[in-house]
Amino acid sequence: MNCKLAIAFLFFLLIGTSAFAQPIVTGVSDLAFGTMYPGVPLKVDKASASAAEFSITGTAGAEVTVTFTLPTYMNVSGYTMQMIFFNTDMAIDSNPTPNQLAPAYNDLDPWQTQTVRLGSAGLTVWLGGKAVPALKQQSGSYVADIVLTVQYTGN
Amino acid sequence: MYIGKQSHIQRRAIILLVVLLLLAVAPPTEAQEVAIGTATATVLSAVTVTATAALAFGNVYQGVTASIANNNASAAIFTISGQANAGVTLYFQLPEYLTLTTGGDRMNISFSATDASIDTTGANNPATMAGTKGWQDTDPRGLPSTATIGSAGTSVYLGGKVYPSAFQQAGSYSADIILTVSYNGT
Repeated sequence: MNCKLAIAFLFFLLIGTSAFAQPIVTGVSDLAFGTMYPGVPLKVDKASASAAEFSITGTAGAEVTVTFTLPTYMNVSGYTMQMIFFNTDMAIDSNPTPNQLAPAYNDLDPWQTQTVRLGSAGLTVWLGGKAVPALKQQSGSYVADIVLTVQYTGN
Repeated sequence: MYIGKQSHIQRRAIILLVVLLLLAVAPPTEAQEVAIGTATATVLSAVTVTATAALAFGNVYQGVTASIANNNASAAIFTISGQANAGVTLYFQLPEYLTLTTGGDRMNISFSATDASIDTTGANNPATMAGTKGWQDTDPRGLPSTATIGSAGTSVYLGGKVYPSAFQQAGSYSADIILTVSYNGT
């Protein structure tokens, strides 16, 4: 092997290495329930504009696991409000132009790890949910963290 | 000598390439990314209802019925407060009779289909009630589903009629009138 061949091989390897780019997941929009009345539960559908949206990018065609860590309560100043996520509240689309109304993977269980392949533009993940204020729920602006973890499977 | 140096450089290059190759083909499963989104909601103030004034028939005579109109100063007054303009569902649980405080006798009471009024000005004054202020002379057993809380609250007035018998035992009679109020999300 001469030096030129070695350099060419090194270049090839660098290109090959860059193909396994770190997955990047970004929170695009919040799960926004808006204003709510005490005692009146409110559900946000995963196909609505108020659903949470996450964007995942990385190596096209690579298989990834997508795992939510979901809250059970929203909080404000020491007060809590119950949240419910049903087993069909999640959707994923791998198409370059994501379609929230007709995603490639619909009615998924957000409590379970999902395994999908990244599309040419990555993945878009939507999440709906339900908030259940009590009859005497303390007024205020409640928030909760929704954590999405993405990892390559190596496949 | 020159050939030996070149061979040494080539060996080092090969070792470097092998290391890079191992790095390149290393399983990417360690690559993990986490994003934290947020769920948000703004909860409005809770609805409250207070029994401000009792439906007071005062003194009644055996065998003589007595009525209180919902615009009478002796009508029952319930005061509702909460989010202005929010829709509420109202539900009366009405008694069928009053009970002698010391026990031993009952006195019938009835409510007609026009015995309630809903005043969205929150005036808490039955005498000033008018049709333009909300729902006047409505059915206490079927209060309107479109009722709302006014900017100063909402008042509900209730009248009724009692039927003391000819042998009604003398004494003070009472009964609970329960008004349940809840937001309906409108």
